[in-house]
Amino acid sequence: MVTAAIGGERPVRDIVPGDHLCLTFADDAEQRPVVTEYLSAGLSRGERVLCFVDRTTPGIVLDWLASTGVDTGAALLGGRLRLVPAADSYLASGRFDAAAMVGTVRREVDASLAEGFSGLRICGEMSWAVRESVGTAELARYEREVDAVFAGRPVSAVCQYDARLFGPDQLEVLDGCHRGSVEPPPLRGHDSLRLVPAGRAGRRRLRVIGTVDDRTHDHFVAALDAVLHRPGDVVLDLSALDFIDVAGLRALANAAARLGGHRRMRLAHPAPVLCEVVRLLGWDRTPGLVLLPEGDVA
Amino acid sequence: MTGAADARGLIHQGLLYGADEQFLAATVPFCRDGLERGDAVLAVTTATNADLLRDGLGADAGHVRFVDADTWYDTPGRTLAAYHRYVDERADGDGRVRVIGEPVWHGRDDLAVAEWTRYESVINLAFADSPAWIVCPYDTRVVPERIVDDARRTHPDLVVGSLAETSPAYLAPALLTTGARRAPAVAGEGGAVLRFGSDLAAVRRFVADTADSLGLSPTRTEHAVVAVNEVATNVLDHGGGSGWIALRRTGGRIVCDVADDGPAPLADWFAGYLPPAPGQRLGVGLWVVRQLCDLVEIQPRDTGTTVSLHFDV
Repeated sequence: MVTAAIGGERPVRDIVPGDHLCLTFADDAEQRPVVTEYLSAGLSRGERVLCFVDRTTPGIVLDWLASTGVDTGAALLGGRLRLVPAADSYLASGRFDAAAMVGTVRREVDASLAEGFSGLRICGEMSWAVRESVGTAELARYEREVDAVFAGRPVSAVCQYDARLFGPDQLEVLDGCHRGSVEPPPLRGHDSLRLVPAGRAGRRRLRVIGTVDDRTHDHFVAALDAVLHRPGDVVLDLSALDFIDVAGLRALANAAARLGGHRRMRLAHPAPVLCEVVRLLGWDRTPGLVLLPEGDVA
Repeated sequence: MTGAADARGLIHQGLLYGADEQFLAATVPFCRDGLERGDAVLAVTTATNADLLRDGLGADAGHVRFVDADTWYDTPGRTLAAYHRYVDERADGDGRVRVIGEPVWHGRDDLAVAEWTRYESVINLAFADSPAWIVCPYDTRVVPERIVDDARRTHPDLVVGSLAETSPAYLAPALLTTGARRAPAVAGEGGAVLRFGSDLAAVRRFVADTADSLGLSPTRTEHAVVAVNEVATNVLDHGGGSGWIALRRTGGRIVCDVADDGPAPLADWFAGYLPPAPGQRLGVGLWVVRQLCDLVEIQPRDTGTTVSLHFDV
């Protein structure tokens, strides 16, 4: 049996038995593809899929699965797919009890394997913890203890943390209680321009790879639009940006100006010529735009 | 000149002087009058004239900002942008922003003289609505006569002593086009030509490789790549959609011609000299191009436009 490696980021397709991974998502675009691929792959392998749902309701999860061709009705009837609300799992006793929940997960694993399933995939959304004011230490204790339940068994788990609800410091701690992170899906790209999320948990950066010119301009603008609503600062790592034209710089300045409040667009590792052109245009004075030639994103 | 101070909009005057006394007779009252009114006063001139003016102003000299002309008159695009920044930062009150701006003519070849002459003309457009009052001294003892003649055509008013009079030879910038001296295309060594369509990556590779082989420094080559990409983007978005690029070395310059296939002229000869308004899309690229290059010539043709970018080696 392939054993789960410790640490690092990996795409959903590389999740192996024993894995207990953290998914930090900032919007549907980051959550949906991961959850859908993880669950539907389990179903197609004949494994049982257990989903602890919360803000993302059972109806939404079923729609996601159905859109990939899964016969959700049959899976539910056959007991291969189970959707359990937080109130009946994490909060079954009326409040969160880490030890009790570890016991619940252990019983689910034992029962599924006893029933003859070749494996079990567990996907839990943790948003309720913010609503119930459960402390980071309590959640971290749960995540560390539940990890042992999966080790060495044909079972894996993905815990979903919403970066719009949890702060970056919290996410850093919680992400560290897992065997690794699920790699977020890249944004819609182009042959010569890719925008790839990098960095862990709540300290996500977007690596801009390739060229922004006449040909890729619309893709670039669409990608910026897609990340603007995400919580916190928008951090773009430009170290692999080969070229950007004036229209692309205008798109960056416009996006920064739209952030509002105390949010910033931080450009890490901008090329010297990029900084020079931004200054010639006076766009270095755009509210919300921060150039970080040294790449310091702190 | 007192009356002019109360008018709104740009005042752009040539000061043709043949003696130090004539220079001082105009500039000292110009500065004093401005300081009394609370105007910002900037003097960009030669070291010699700066000393003369300081002596003439006495204690008032401390309130005038002096800048050396050789530093200030760098390239037309950068100088114009610097003036814009200077005026914008000071133009919010009721007063005027007063500038003595003595352009540098020594050491300029015909091509540079022609473009600096266009620069003097475009000042009339670029600052048309600004409260700038710019007096441009021309030392007739050392500046060639043809340049002095051009000053009469590029300045709406001429200062004589402490009085201003209309310059009868003045031509509006749009009319100067025909009179401008274009440098003839000089065949250079080691040049290369590229026809281009929608593939700007190929354009950037061509410019980077050719400029490097012609001896342009890595930093200036990066500037050339950005500049040519902007001009070529204009060709794709607003011009004929295709064109050609010729890169060659002529003496101490790398010259890059970007020509589009028409059908109509793409830009006025002064495009890119006027600062883009907030939110403006067209013309922003050329504003940058003017500042990245050492000289830019825009030559509208009957079909299409040729934009020549010059980089000093």
